[in-house]
Amino acid sequence: MATLPGQVPTRPARARAQSALTGIDWWLLGAALAVSGFGVYVVKVATEGDVPGDPGYFFTRQVAYALIGLVALFFVLRLDLERLSRYVWTLYAILVASVGVVLVLGSSARGSTRWIEFGPIRLQPSELGKVVIAFVIAVVVVERIKSMDSARLSLLVAGVTALPAGIVFLQPDLGTALVYAAIALAILWVAGQPITHFILFGTVVVGAAVLVLYLMPALGVNVLQPYQVDRLTSFVDSGADRSATGYQLEQSKVAIGSGGAFGKGPSGATQTINDFLPEHHTDFIFAVVAEMFGFLGAGLLIAVYLIIIWRAIVIMRGAPTELERLLAAGITAMFAFEVFVNIGMNVGIMPITGIPLPFMSYGGSHTLTNLVAVGVLLGIARRSRLPDPRGA
Amino acid sequence: MTSFAALALLLFGVLIARLWFLQVIGGGEYQERAEANRLRTVITEAPRGAITDRNGKALVTSREVLNLVAEPQQVGGARSTGALRRLSVALGHPPGYFAAKVRKAQEARPFEPVVLEEETGPELQAYVEERASQLPGISLRAAYVRDYPQGSTAAHVLGYTGPIPAEQEEEYADRGYVGNETVGRAGIEAQYEQYLRGIDGREQVEVDARGQVVGRGVLSRTPAQPGETLRLSIDLKVQKALEVALREEVRGSGVSTGAAGVALDPRTGAVLALASYPTFNPDVFQSGTPREVRRVLTGAGRPLLDRAIAGEYPAASTFKAITAAAALESGLYTPGESINSPGSVTLYKTLFRGFNNLDHGIINLVTALEVSSDTFFYELADRSFRRQGWPFQDWSRKFGLGRPTGLDLTEGESAGLVPDLAYKRRTCDRATDPINCSWRPGDSVNMSIGQGNVLVTPIQMAVAYAAIANGGTVVTPTLGRAVVDQDGRVLRDLVSARASRPLGLKKGNADIIRRGLLRAANGNGGTGTPVFGALPRSAQVAGKTGTAENPSGIDHAWYVGYAPADDPEIVVAVVVERGGQGANAAAPAVCRAMSAYLGFGAARCGTGAKVN
Repeated sequence: MATLPGQVPTRPARARAQSALTGIDWWLLGAALAVSGFGVYVVKVATEGDVPGDPGYFFTRQVAYALIGLVALFFVLRLDLERLSRYVWTLYAILVASVGVVLVLGSSARGSTRWIEFGPIRLQPSELGKVVIAFVIAVVVVERIKSMDSARLSLLVAGVTALPAGIVFLQPDLGTALVYAAIALAILWVAGQPITHFILFGTVVVGAAVLVLYLMPALGVNVLQPYQVDRLTSFVDSGADRSATGYQLEQSKVAIGSGGAFGKGPSGATQTINDFLPEHHTDFIFAVVAEMFGFLGAGLLIAVYLIIIWRAIVIMRGAPTELERLLAAGITAMFAFEVFVNIGMNVGIMPITGIPLPFMSYGGSHTLTNLVAVGVLLGIARRSRLPDPRGA
Repeated sequence: MTSFAALALLLFGVLIARLWFLQVIGGGEYQERAEANRLRTVITEAPRGAITDRNGKALVTSREVLNLVAEPQQVGGARSTGALRRLSVALGHPPGYFAAKVRKAQEARPFEPVVLEEETGPELQAYVEERASQLPGISLRAAYVRDYPQGSTAAHVLGYTGPIPAEQEEEYADRGYVGNETVGRAGIEAQYEQYLRGIDGREQVEVDARGQVVGRGVLSRTPAQPGETLRLSIDLKVQKALEVALREEVRGSGVSTGAAGVALDPRTGAVLALASYPTFNPDVFQSGTPREVRRVLTGAGRPLLDRAIAGEYPAASTFKAITAAAALESGLYTPGESINSPGSVTLYKTLFRGFNNLDHGIINLVTALEVSSDTFFYELADRSFRRQGWPFQDWSRKFGLGRPTGLDLTEGESAGLVPDLAYKRRTCDRATDPINCSWRPGDSVNMSIGQGNVLVTPIQMAVAYAAIANGGTVVTPTLGRAVVDQDGRVLRDLVSARASRPLGLKKGNADIIRRGLLRAANGNGGTGTPVFGALPRSAQVAGKTGTAENPSGIDHAWYVGYAPADDPEIVVAVVVERGGQGANAAAPAVCRAMSAYLGFGAARCGTGAKVN
């Protein structure tokens, strides 16, 4: 390649690629890409009949999202987290402001909105916010763990998390708010906060749930939307529930169960193709996998998620700095929580909270966030394997 | 950090276990449910066969209508609940009306479409078509209803249709019914259900969640099979004439509670007309209001009761032909013998009066039938009582009394009653009236003139007189004539298999009775002469009046006769409850039915006389 005048000379492309790939955790990258590719395929076969006249509508978009996510992954991989930590409160302010804007726009649009629209692009700030909140909490904890007593630190983290999580909850997006909480808890746990804090927190959560779901409605105060109460409680006895949520869950179980051991194949998955299973490209995509590929396919998918979590834990353990260790803990918790709650809701053992399945569910912000998170982990892994570039 | 890994392994282990439970253990059940989601059976209703008279004139046909139907699998969700509520309100029902209807129907048959509204009008059809997208699972579906082009004519013969009653569901299931069909519930509709019923067509299709047919579309198909046309032996013009005559007799009398009549072809037993009054319109059971239905079921005069086959009346003087046959055949009376027939006789210290105490002098059997002498037959009864044996009972039974005639309306025909010693023993009160537990002379006397405990139905009397008319064959009356296809070709003959049996009445004896009956309708002293005396020779009637005493005080009027007397083609029996004397109330109705069949002007029928 000829170097044009005025252009900054760059290293040859080959060398650049080589350096980008050195020190990569191939297990993690391979697993994430495999699931993402499989996700794109499942979105394709599940949605071919969904948009009349455009069988590739969701497929082409999901391919684009995955490619954008991949680019972002390699960008984040090289990000200097130490330097970024100086701007932690700026990042936090952007997060709170953007989810706040969505809340305001949503309420003015008379309904729930999770997106900010820039022309044709719709961004869901609460999604990327998962990685941001993990980073913010990790920074807050690392900077204060030695100087602040543990109770005040836990309270500070609770406050820092509660602000954006509360706004997201009001959007209303209970699932994402729960992910924020899971991230915060995981980081505090890995940072070595006393177990009493977690017991206390658990007590408060259970108490709040009882208050919000049962006691306050009994007194005539409804904190949650009726559909949210439905979702949270319908998994307990979906058979008797004829509401939309109960129907969704029932259809999901029928889809999964009818897949049997080996599945009905992409063309025989009538629960999906004939649209009995709603949200089959987003929240209920796991049921599609189970219907099409049976226990074998669904079990394999879960195994690959276990590989991702295994690598995330390994990377966390080998993290070169405490900040990176806590950040890795937050991201690991995010993946584990999302995968478990999503699949759990598909198979009917967890409440329906609107949490998508990482790397599989259709959605731009969501796909981008997961690949960015993988990028963060890969970066940590690489820095733990390579000599410090600043020292070299 | 190991706690992290342990927690992840534990949670994912739970997911795998749950998956195993759902897919490997519960897979079969969920596969069935997925199939139930995907497959829908679309039923195309088959029309019921038509019923015509002997000449092919339509009595009942099937008419296509559009019903408003809800698919149960699709009206479960919240969206449909709203649709059902809107629809209820739009049609002027309470908001929960249709939802309740669906719920109730689903309890009984979860997978069958629920009919919300039958026979929709154009307005409702337009409403539903405009809002099809807002009414998921609700659609208009072609169905058939019974149409009665002749109104209430022959209602008791035709019967009516209705849904399968819950208590008979199993019985119908054995015969291949799903359970929600419309079936014949009474009359010919029920009797010949097997030919009239159409077999609904079935298509299995694959549908999506909105109920739209998708992909491979029709997976299997059984076409609808319309029911076959049933041709009856009924002659519409005779039927109408008889019905009009009965109605006018009842209404004209002012005190009558009902009437019934049967016209047969004495040669074959083919029923030409069978009528009962008061009557009903079979359409009431299909589209009547609950009040209208109640009026038919329990209304004054019991319109649903088919008096022609289920009404039991004392035979009165019409029975004298049977007494005569018994007397001739058992030697109680020798042909040519004359018997003194005063206004009354005292037998066994009891005074038995003749009708109106008329003194007929010394007369033979032919004259006794002509003038309907009671005391003549009392004498025969006295002779009968003194001898061994039961000639009156034996001959009653030979004529077919005391049991159903076997008409092809098997449900609802009464047996009537031929009283005998066993009957008396069965019904007497041993404690207070032991003497009544034996057959007494008075019983024979009363029986000889068709009173006492003798009970007959109009169709029994028609069959008995047919046997006299046709020279001694007891026929089985028949309504169904043939099952025919669209072009009128006979697919199945319903008549040939019907039994008939010889009466065993000697020709000479039969001639005597026929001569008596001819004189009774045409002779100078004939009780029916005022009505039949002016008929053309080709349509001369032979027959007998009857005036039945009954506990309500006002007599029932009877007439049974046949024509033309020398080669009978039609026999008609009519009873008018509380109609008074037979010649006045019943005979004119018989004459008018005969005029419709034989083609003489009804104006030649007289209106009545004063004798029995």
